[in-house]
Amino acid sequence: MAMHGMRGLSVFISDIRNCQNKEQERQRIDKELGNVRNRFKNEKGLSPYEKKKYVWKMLYIYMLGYDVDFGHMEAVSLISAPKYPEKQVGYIVTSCLLNENHDFLRLAINTVRNDIIGRNETFQCLALTMVGNIGGREFAESLAPDVQKLLLSSSCRPLVRKKAALCLLRLYRKNPDVVNVDGWADRMAQLLDERDLGVLTSSMSLLVALVSNNHEAYWSCLPKCVKTLERLARNQDIPQEYTYYGIPSPWLQVKTMRALQYFPTIEDPYTRRTLFEVLQRILMGTDVVKNVNKNNASHAVLFEALALVMHLDAEKEMMSQCVALLGKFIAVREPNIRYLGLENMTRMLMVTDAQEIIKRHQAQIITSLKDPDISIRRRALDLLYGMCDVTNAKDIVEELLQYLSSADFTMREELSLKAAILAEKFAPDLSWYVDVILQLIDKAGDFISDDIWFRVVQFVTNNDDLQVSAYILGEYSHLLARRPGCSPKEIFGILHEKLPTVSTTTIPILLSAYAKILMHTQPPDQELQSQIWAIFNKYESCIDAEIQQRAVEYFALCQKGAALMDILAEMPKFPERKSSLIKRAEYSEADTAEQSAIKLRAQQQPSNALVVTDQPPANGATSPVPVGQLSLAMVPSMITTEDHTSTDPASSQQNGSLTKVDPQHPSADLLGDLLGPLAIEGPPGATVQSEHNAVSRLEGGPDAVDGSAIVPVEEQRNTVQPIGNIAERFHALCLKDSGVLYEDPYIQIGIKAEWRAHHGRLVLFLGNKNTAPLVSVQALMLPPAHLKMELSLVPDTIPPRAQVQCPLEVVNLRPSRDVAVLDFSYKFGTNMVNVKLRLPAVLNKFLQPIPVPAEEFFPQWRSLSGPPLKLQEVVRGVRPMPLPEMANLLNSFRLMICPGLDPNPNNLVASTTFYSESTHAMLCLIRIETDPADRTQLRMTLASGDPTLTFELKEFIKEQLISIPTAPPQSPAPAPAPPPAAQATPQIPPNDPAALLAGLLS
Amino acid sequence: MPVAASAIYFLNLRGDVLINRLYRDDVGGNMVDAFRMHIMQTKELGTCPVRQIGGCSFFYMRISNVYIVIVVSSNANVACAFKFVVEAVSMFKSYFGGAFDEDAIRNNFVLIYELLDEIMDFGYPQNLSPEILKLYITQEGVRSPFSSKASDKPIPNATLQVTGAVGWRREGLVYKKNEVFLDIVESVNLLMSSKGSVLRCDVTGKILMKCFLSGMPDLKLGLNDKIGLEKESQMKSRPAKSGKTIELDDVTFHQCVNLTRFNSEKTVSFVPPDGEFELMKYRITEGVNLPFRVLPTIKELGRTRMEVNVKVKSVFGAKMFALGVVVKIPVPKQTAKTSFQVTSGRAKYNAAIDCLVWKIRKFPGQTEPTLSAEVELISTMAEKKSWTKPPIQMEFQVPMFTASGLRVRFLKVWEKSGYNTVEWVRYITKAGSYEIRC
Repeated sequence: MAMHGMRGLSVFISDIRNCQNKEQERQRIDKELGNVRNRFKNEKGLSPYEKKKYVWKMLYIYMLGYDVDFGHMEAVSLISAPKYPEKQVGYIVTSCLLNENHDFLRLAINTVRNDIIGRNETFQCLALTMVGNIGGREFAESLAPDVQKLLLSSSCRPLVRKKAALCLLRLYRKNPDVVNVDGWADRMAQLLDERDLGVLTSSMSLLVALVSNNHEAYWSCLPKCVKTLERLARNQDIPQEYTYYGIPSPWLQVKTMRALQYFPTIEDPYTRRTLFEVLQRILMGTDVVKNVNKNNASHAVLFEALALVMHLDAEKEMMSQCVALLGKFIAVREPNIRYLGLENMTRMLMVTDAQEIIKRHQAQIITSLKDPDISIRRRALDLLYGMCDVTNAKDIVEELLQYLSSADFTMREELSLKAAILAEKFAPDLSWYVDVILQLIDKAGDFISDDIWFRVVQFVTNNDDLQVSAYILGEYSHLLARRPGCSPKEIFGILHEKLPTVSTTTIPILLSAYAKILMHTQPPDQELQSQIWAIFNKYESCIDAEIQQRAVEYFALCQKGAALMDILAEMPKFPERKSSLIKRAEYSEADTAEQSAIKLRAQQQPSNALVVTDQPPANGATSPVPVGQLSLAMVPSMITTEDHTSTDPASSQQNGSLTKVDPQHPSADLLGDLLGPLAIEGPPGATVQSEHNAVSRLEGGPDAVDGSAIVPVEEQRNTVQPIGNIAERFHALCLKDSGVLYEDPYIQIGIKAEWRAHHGRLVLFLGNKNTAPLVSVQALMLPPAHLKMELSLVPDTIPPRAQVQCPLEVVNLRPSRDVAVLDFSYKFGTNMVNVKLRLPAVLNKFLQPIPVPAEEFFPQWRSLSGPPLKLQEVVRGVRPMPLPEMANLLNSFRLMICPGLDPNPNNLVASTTFYSESTHAMLCLIRIETDPADRTQLRMTLASGDPTLTFELKEFIKEQLISIPTAPPQSPAPAPAPPPAAQATPQIPPNDPAALLAGLLS
Repeated sequence: MPVAASAIYFLNLRGDVLINRLYRDDVGGNMVDAFRMHIMQTKELGTCPVRQIGGCSFFYMRISNVYIVIVVSSNANVACAFKFVVEAVSMFKSYFGGAFDEDAIRNNFVLIYELLDEIMDFGYPQNLSPEILKLYITQEGVRSPFSSKASDKPIPNATLQVTGAVGWRREGLVYKKNEVFLDIVESVNLLMSSKGSVLRCDVTGKILMKCFLSGMPDLKLGLNDKIGLEKESQMKSRPAKSGKTIELDDVTFHQCVNLTRFNSEKTVSFVPPDGEFELMKYRITEGVNLPFRVLPTIKELGRTRMEVNVKVKSVFGAKMFALGVVVKIPVPKQTAKTSFQVTSGRAKYNAAIDCLVWKIRKFPGQTEPTLSAEVELISTMAEKKSWTKPPIQMEFQVPMFTASGLRVRFLKVWEKSGYNTVEWVRYITKAGSYEIRC
């Protein structure tokens, strides 16, 4: 070492080490710095030896953390010294004390360059090392050619060349222009033929940086990388010194695989096969061993391999192998390995469709929830949350519930939130959901945020038959009172009729309703008041404490008069029903680290992996569809004037129209609507005509089956004419998820659908409107090739005034515009009726709007270049409409308009994700250029990763733009806000004979 | 009585615990680690004597090479805690024979533990008077009551003394030669602008006494302070003598001084404790006689050269002289070479404190030695950090000089037996923070 014989330096260092405390050390150092300053000042008397010694001292002081703001000149000047020891200290101290922006470095460029192009290898190494550490732009400009030459030169020793590669990497990072893409790609490929692993490792680092910027130019390197990887994996020709715990250069392996991930795909089948063989070998060959270092190395390789497998979207078998391997990892005792296993599984879940395979390890993952290490527990929770779907929701949620009671306090909130979301999203039936949430509230107590129990209250209030009816009447009857015939008295009469028959738990609610009715009666009705007071009086001596208490309290309150107003005021509105839970989950998901990492990677590489990773986890926490499925409200919006987002517009519209058509029994109608179930239970003599409100019912809940009222709307007719225009109904349903599909005098077929990714679940509501049963009911699905449909059994007979629900499962296999047809027939009396109905399981139902920011849109748009992935067509004969209207229309097809991406205000840019089994989630980008002068023509450009999808979507949009259904003029259909009744009613056009007839008859 | 401490630690400069005592168990044993981590190993050390870390308050103080740290978790009386430390240190000094440092602590572990047990109980300070403590915490071996040789001294009754009327003095003291030593020690704090105008100036003084008097003497001290003189002239109903009177601020007395008599007669009369004690403290802000005037001129010649000229003028009597005068003239951090010319004393550059240090061992009154120095600076990387010129600092001691002008007019001793006493009076003025801006 060059320090030999520098006595002053070693004395100084030992002085420092002997210092008792920081103060002493500081004093010693200040003294020494004073000394050094003094020496540097009389430059003339300074010998090279002394200079070297003082510069070393400066470095030592600097490394101890003290400011050294002088003497840089001396350090830099040592670089040009002829002897090695001085040059060495010059280079070392310069690279430590100076940064790339220092002016002094400029002085050294020439010397450094001389060293690099000189013949002395050690000097070359010193210079390359320094430039590799602190080289800046100026260095890049003046030294890059020399460094490149050195890297390529065959006469240089590998030692120099590997330093040159790293040096070039630094220069490239400082100034990407120094590497000329055209010329360098071939040379890079050449470099990868290198046999020396040291040079190869350095070159690979360089390659990773190069391809991360521009993979196009370096296609030629891809096979070389695979070859390198193969060589390493087969352990061919690997020198001993590059083998680490028996693993051939893990660093090079990792770097190579990292480089490969920057290429979007591998097209050459041979290369692809070879790569998969290699990956297979890595996957097979990795195991958990005792030695920590070996584990670290082999796992680094393995996880990079996993990332590569995910990136390449390998076949299912390989995936399952990966998952199996990860499964082995999560069963290991060592926590680090288990953590990695869980984390990678979660990542895998996001990137690929490995859900089914991962499910096999569910039990093991659940065990990990009980791990002593909290980070592992968190990973396990994330993974469980991610892997949950309809099939395993019950198990997972119950497991989470069980775990909740023993979970860490810090985790409880997240845990309960996730359990609540899962329960909500995948609830097989309602009662289970309510059970789960109540258990959750019971167990987690404080950790339950308000949102969770709000939602339960919503559910319970929405689904408890009479209790609810009474509650609602109590709450909202005053709004009804404005209508003729809806006087509080009548409402009270109807409610009171039921009082003797209901259970004791319902009575208190009825009492509350009475109290509220009384309160809302303006001006006060003495008769009603006395009636109600009489009832309260009667129940004041009731045996049931609850009823008694209520009666007493209400009685007392009633007499107080004005005070009643506040106490019995309407319940406050429920908050926005789009679950705030999910919003919160998004929020908490957003800060999990691995997501950001994936996102980062995705941003770096414009490959098709982006499409998926950028999405929220496949079971779409953000998708509005699962939200819709849950937000059910029974109260028709028109009556309540409440902003219940999901109140089915269709049902309320029908209410509205009916009220007009049938003015003689409006109150009965409305009540019938509200008290559907009551109407059934009630005495048959009560000629209550009920409007069909089945669609607004919760679908799927078995307990809700009988909950819908029956629909004998008008007088019976012998002609079997459909009511309303079937085609219009179909078009309307294309845009929304529930409504009436078909209606005739005997039957009404309602439909309610929910869509999640490429799965759909439709429920057909077959309602017999008549007092006689419908027989020989048959429903036959005629599905097109791209849809897999399963219709559950349709009963042969529909009893009078009953409604039957038939769930229908839909799976989208691939993109297509074909439409499924329902062949439906029944017999009424002697009439055989047969209709063929198109089902609204159309292309746009499998779309999921997704906002794409500009920085992601444009790379995507560019990467999908030319047909068949990108198609363009000039469409003529478009129904002219203003641009916002078109944007609305597109939005209603679940194409998310991205404003601001196109500078031209006449153009529209939209994005969406299409789900099908073959394409999985596929990002589609749409651009529509309109001509302000001629609104009937436009140019449409579509891009997606799948040629069929591009074509079909283009055709679909074209159809929609040309032949726009006239029925819902520009109603944004899936938008939650209920449109004004008159406008959005599936109109009965005046020329419809059936409707005219109905009008006349009533 | 407020709590003063939950625990007390004695640390050396490295942060090792030399000795510690927990008085209350509301602080953990590892609290001192927090002190080490958050105070000793940061630059904060010495900036703020009270710090709160993790719900505990730390009061610390450095005495020679020992840190004394008091840890308290409740809302303690800080002044009480510091007073306790100061008193404890003077008590230790009196036990150890003057020195209080790391070595002294290492050599007296057992004694210190014994004393720590005695001077504080459950966080409440107890009797810290060394005279009383020495009655029952002795450094000698225990004499057996059955030993043949009878003790020549009567066995002192500590209880009686602590609870008696004159708690600070034991009865029956006998000295062959009755002597009283009285020292007036003043330290001058000064901040002067470069132009020579006084920005801030005050004197803090204390009167130290050492008594070797037999029996129960009653002492009376007369100073040339304003209140005392006025009162006296009133009492004797004759006009006040023309001459300098001193106005004392913030006077505090030792507990032995009879305050009722001070309030009514304005005389300081007291029964002194045996041995050494601090009789009173005071402060003076008006009419201070500055012992030195400093006239600096510092010129920066370009970026790498400086010229420093300092003239120091002594303004006390020509027959007096100051001792140990040190003038510290700050220079920039990048000072490389220095050369000096001084008319007296010696000067050199000290890189550890970035100052030119000029020492004059004996500095006669009414003289004005000068220093002129040339300073060469090294050029640095940093863009010419503007040098914030710190003030010049001075250290000195001037015997037989009081900056306040305070004099002892009389010191009278009465005792039943009426013995003769010898009184010795000494004056000394030291530099506190004596700073001159340049």
